[in-house]
Amino acid sequence: MNYSDLLVQGLVEGCIYALIAVGLTLVYGLLRILHIAHAGIFTLGAYVGLLLTNETGSFAAAFVITIVAVGFFGMAFYRLFYEPILNKPPHVALIASIGLFVAMEEIYRLIFGATSISFLAPPLKDTVEVAGVRLEEGRIVVVILAVVLIGGLALLAGRTRIGIAWRATVSDAAMAESFGIDLARVRYINFFVASALAAAAGIMVALLLNQVIPTMGGVPAYKALAIIVLGGLGNVKGTLIAALALGVIESFGTIYLDRVLDRDAIAFAFLIVVLMIRPQGLFARR
Amino acid sequence: MYEISLLTVMSFSVIFALSLNLITGFCGQISLGHAAFYGIGAYTAALFTTDGGSFWLALPLAMAVAGFFGFIVGFASLRVRHDFLAITTMGVGFLFTGFVRQQEFLGGEEGIAGIPDPGIGQIPYMLLCAAFAAAVIAFSLYVKRSWMGQAFDAIATDEDTARTLGVDVARYKLTAFVFGTALAGLAGALFAHYVKFVEVESFDFIESISVLAMVIVGGIGSVWGVVVAAAFLSVLPLLLQVFADYKLLIYGVLLFAVMYFAPGGIDSLMRMLWRRISGRRTAE
Amino acid sequence: MDALLSISGVSVRFGGVDALADVGFEVAKGALLGLIGPNGAGKTTMLRAVTGMVRPQTGSIVLDGAEISRLPTHRRVRLGLGLSQQIVRPFAGMTAVENVALAAGYAKTADPLKALATASRQAERDRARTLLDLVGVADAADALPAELPLGYLKRVEVARALALDPKVLLLDEPLAGLNTSEAARLADTVVDLNRQGTTVVLIEHNLSEVMRVCRQLVVLDNGRKIGDGDPAEVMADPAVRDAYLGAASEAPGEARDAAA
Ligand SMILES: Nc1ncnc2c1ncn2[C@@H]1O[C@H](COP(=O)(O)OP(=O)(O)OP(=O)(O)O)[C@@H](O)[C@H]1O
Ligand SMILES: [Mg+2]
Repeated sequence: MNYSDLLVQGLVEGCIYALIAVGLTLVYGLLRILHIAHAGIFTLGAYVGLLLTNETGSFAAAFVITIVAVGFFGMAFYRLFYEPILNKPPHVALIASIGLFVAMEEIYRLIFGATSISFLAPPLKDTVEVAGVRLEEGRIVVVILAVVLIGGLALLAGRTRIGIAWRATVSDAAMAESFGIDLARVRYINFFVASALAAAAGIMVALLLNQVIPTMGGVPAYKALAIIVLGGLGNVKGTLIAALALGVIESFGTIYLDRVLDRDAIAFAFLIVVLMIRPQGLFARR
Repeated sequence: MYEISLLTVMSFSVIFALSLNLITGFCGQISLGHAAFYGIGAYTAALFTTDGGSFWLALPLAMAVAGFFGFIVGFASLRVRHDFLAITTMGVGFLFTGFVRQQEFLGGEEGIAGIPDPGIGQIPYMLLCAAFAAAVIAFSLYVKRSWMGQAFDAIATDEDTARTLGVDVARYKLTAFVFGTALAGLAGALFAHYVKFVEVESFDFIESISVLAMVIVGGIGSVWGVVVAAAFLSVLPLLLQVFADYKLLIYGVLLFAVMYFAPGGIDSLMRMLWRRISGRRTAE
Repeated sequence: MDALLSISGVSVRFGGVDALADVGFEVAKGALLGLIGPNGAGKTTMLRAVTGMVRPQTGSIVLDGAEISRLPTHRRVRLGLGLSQQIVRPFAGMTAVENVALAAGYAKTADPLKALATASRQAERDRARTLLDLVGVADAADALPAELPLGYLKRVEVARALALDPKVLLLDEPLAGLNTSEAARLADTVVDLNRQGTTVVLIEHNLSEVMRVCRQLVVLDNGRKIGDGDPAEVMADPAVRDAYLGAASEAPGEARDAAA
């Protein structure tokens, strides 16, 4: 493998991490909850997307339906599980969220079985050559999706009323409320967006690996946690940079660090080193 | 014979859960990677005795090595707080499993088999584990009553205010980490010499969450609550097949339900019940 | 007289705000010094700088001959500071007497292992009860903080600071939330303690009590020191009257409502 291959691979991985981690950081920025169960929502997206593709035969249609449906699921999830415990001490939501995540993985195992399921006709498997690197179409789609979805989100946050309301709420909820912003609505939309992004990531991972298993959420989700800490909890830009950086570091790290650590531990080694030097993350909020 | 293994498992689970309770319950430092120290103890003892070392020396050695790493991770807890600490300790757990998987001398993915029997027979081994568990219970109860427990309590509630009362928060946190992780190491060594086989899966994130569940269900910081929760949760999968099949689902639901409905766990439920009963008695 | 606490050139910036700009003053041994100024003047920030809860960008703080500005909070406290905070911070899980006893046990909590070696708390509890009685809240000894009104919590906070046997007692608005007679009584207690040898720095908006008990005033405004010296002289200074009382210059005795 040459360096440009590694770099491109790393960027593709980084885009997937970004799709997952942006949602996490949005939730943290707004509610100060480490939403571990986000990983369960990611896996849900993968299952729904794969099963719908197999059912309808159209990956594109399945993709759109899935991210919207999972977005609504995320809203309901927030309403049912988090809203009632928002005012409890912070560890309450954290531990509740861990519990929900563990339970969700088990529920998937009970419903879909412990073994993996695959696409009947795996879509986007052709390869094309971009800048001298041969790439599967699916990988290109991941990058395009990340750019379009996250870029679109940034535009919405800057331009629309609800985007501005959202930003105001993140910087000071009490102040925003005194200006007549409906906090509950902002939080619902926040969960919709975060969950839809996680679902998009879930489907794309399902596509790239051509399989879905109940525990697939674990590793990328834990890494997403590391990423949002590196990005400075709640900082979207920092999160994006950290996601891409981690993708690339892992991709090179598997070559050079494989002897010492397996790939999935690199993120945390990186995380711990950074936190010891900058306890507030690479990019602090203020 | 069956009861003997139940009691053995129960004993080292109680030690393991109380070791986390020291860090997370008493001192308020959440840890999502505590299984790593259980693992460090187990691997240390396993390496030592498979290499011909004495089981009796393996126990203190496991405690020392786990406590040493706990000391290092304790330093991390000084740099970061709350959510950052939760993720950092989770990272420590992943580092442990990620490291062990790649190391030949630790058996890599296969683990270490053929750990020698301590050679004292099943019943004495059970009694030994139970005696250690009793000692750790007594130690926990004592720590809670002592001035150290008072200082821990202050740090857990509000560490900045604890500082204004002259409490050296850093040293107390380090002490909590060293004690807690050394005891986890002891539990790990006892576990390794009971199952006689260690592999990395026994010490992964799910195991960290399982031990956290024991502490949470028992009631964060409560000694007896955690003992009861650890005793039940550790042997139920052995007693009931349904529990074994749905163990993780049950743990997940328990973690959520306790936080949602009764954040004080068994401890606060028992207290409530007790108040009801004694209230009725005084009313009569 | 020797300065027991000597503060010089302390500057604290929060983002773009100069909470303190090059402020210094001396607290003589045995002094009862009033630190006053309008809201946001930087009074609380000064006490936090002295105790090490904020790190000043510049400045030096010398307590009893020792430079303490680089020490962590707990070391400074052990060298003889006792702080009662403006926003009360009782330990929620401990009763009032346990809160105070924890501070009274400072010798036992100095070292974790020593703390582990001792469990007896009777002496500290007795001491705590005495102190709670001294500040006038003996009846609240066994109550949890959540059950107590602010006026009580303020005094528990003061008792907790006293339990540290400080050389310098730093009180941040201890009279807030107390009615007139409670306030006068607590102020008298502070005077008594001061007579018995405790040096006191008192932040207070209740100007009539300040003028009654303090023998030295330091006035802050907008992070700057604008007055320092004998209370009557300081209050007569037009600059102080202007900044502290606003355009309408009133006599100090009438100023209480304006400042509150
Ligand atoms: N942690 C902080 N971060 C940012 N700004 C702060 C912080 N603490 C204080 N400030 C600012 O510093 C200035 C001084 O605040 P300080 O609390 O010291 O005033 P004060 O004199 O105690 O006022 P009050 O009488 O209202 O208690 C204020 O403008 C305040 O907003
Ligand atoms: Mg103040």
